[in-house]
Amino acid sequence: MEIIKVPKRLSIVPEYSAFSDTFRQGLAAGKFMTTTCSSCGNMTFPPKQHCSDCWSAEMEWTELSGNGILYARTTIHAAATQFHGEVPFSVGIVDLEEGVRLVTGLLDDPVRINNDAAIRLVILSYEDGLLFAARPA
Amino acid sequence: MNNDRKPVVISYAASKVGKLDQTRFEHEILADVVIDAVGTAGLDKTDIGSAVFTAPTPATRQRAFATFMASRLGLHCQGQIAEVSNLGITGGLAFEQACADVAGGRARVALALGIEYSSAVDAATMMEQGIRAAGDVNFQTPFGLTPIAWYALDADRYLYETGTTRRDLAAIAVKNRQHAMLNPLAQFQTPLTVADVLEQPTIVEPLGRYDVPARSDGAICLVVTSEVVARGLGKPFLRVLGRGFSHDGRHQVGSSPHDITDFPAARQATATALEDAAVSLEQVDVAELYAPCTITEALVVEAIGLAEKGRGALAAGAGETAIGGRIPVCTSGGCLSRGHPPGLTALYGIAELFDQLLHRAGKRQVAGAGLGLHLCELGNYNAALAHVMDAGN
Repeated sequence: MEIIKVPKRLSIVPEYSAFSDTFRQGLAAGKFMTTTCSSCGNMTFPPKQHCSDCWSAEMEWTELSGNGILYARTTIHAAATQFHGEVPFSVGIVDLEEGVRLVTGLLDDPVRINNDAAIRLVILSYEDGLLFAARPA
Repeated sequence: MNNDRKPVVISYAASKVGKLDQTRFEHEILADVVIDAVGTAGLDKTDIGSAVFTAPTPATRQRAFATFMASRLGLHCQGQIAEVSNLGITGGLAFEQACADVAGGRARVALALGIEYSSAVDAATMMEQGIRAAGDVNFQTPFGLTPIAWYALDADRYLYETGTTRRDLAAIAVKNRQHAMLNPLAQFQTPLTVADVLEQPTIVEPLGRYDVPARSDGAICLVVTSEVVARGLGKPFLRVLGRGFSHDGRHQVGSSPHDITDFPAARQATATALEDAAVSLEQVDVAELYAPCTITEALVVEAIGLAEKGRGALAAGAGETAIGGRIPVCTSGGCLSRGHPPGLTALYGIAELFDQLLHRAGKRQVAGAGLGLHLCELGNYNAALAHVMDAGN
């Protein structure tokens, strides 16, 4: 997965537990990871230590393709203090081809992403941490 | 439940929603409201066994506000003094907890009350907390979604799928302003047109300033007692006929694809409350909904069956959900024009049903209103709490 360097600091730095740090390590290595329940097969995002469906703790890390479609989007013009340097910025709900839904930032580059359009996830490497975003496929 | 202890609302008092007097402390303002509400009921402070407060926002300097306030009012309670909180359902929970103490015999009289005095803090600072509530703090909050950004995502998908336009949504804001102009407690009372709504700056695309709630202060106290005490006082009262709660198991959005415009918790909670009350939706005369944005009202009226799928906004434009229409919705003016102090909104909503069902709503009275529905929510309608109510005397 493409890693794009962003020469600034994150508005909010995500925190990771000993468990969820596997996700961060994946991003650092260019991989988008989540968990699948070994007991019932439920794959969800964010990664979970316990399956929210069957409560099994037998969770397996899986790498996702990062390919999907945009389900819905908005551009935020009035933001919380931490994001004042960013407005306006766009976020969306993305459905990945593996059947996983997530929320992410949108990079409308080179074109604006419309609903039901194909996207691919990219990894953003800020000065102080990692994040991800969706770009046109 | 012991029939002698069926909980009812016998009175309420509230401040006009908007900006509270900045020269007064919160406890000073709320004390006025409590004394007014208890006095209107014909009760005395020694009757009060419980006081259930909505938890104050971070803007409130005085922490442990409930017990502090109990001391200011000289309350000696044997039921409980508590602060309750869960996003937009907060007021509904305070009300239910007060009702439960009356029903359980722990209090002869229980107050459901609160004050929000957030106008002293700017919106961006308030949203520092809001973005940590609306979403997973590590996997969603870093993208900067404000609480109303989630409703904007609903709106984006809804407009895309149904062909509804921003103009259609604006009709909801206009309809609610017309209601608010008749409500002495409402924050916004100047006339509003569809053009006014469409001209506003975008806040969260596709929603503009008048599609989303303004910041609001408020203070309110509902007095809950038993039907027997109410009858003894010779005053009419509001009673709860049915209750329903449902959580859809999601926090803002699910981990796998689902229709975000569907609001299943709203539908289930309403169905449960109607069944509990042994009435049908067609019998409901007035509905007061927790609907922070124009899109939210459109989606809730569809989810609970007051409008067909895809007609939630069009119903407002056609006058169907206006006072005098088929099923008046948000006769108070709702979150957009009555005003929206989030923790108190449900208490203001129940107060509106008190006025409507006791036929005290003045110029905004729904003619012959006999049965009312109240609904509040949390998250992106991930959970809903519904009450079906009528009047007794």
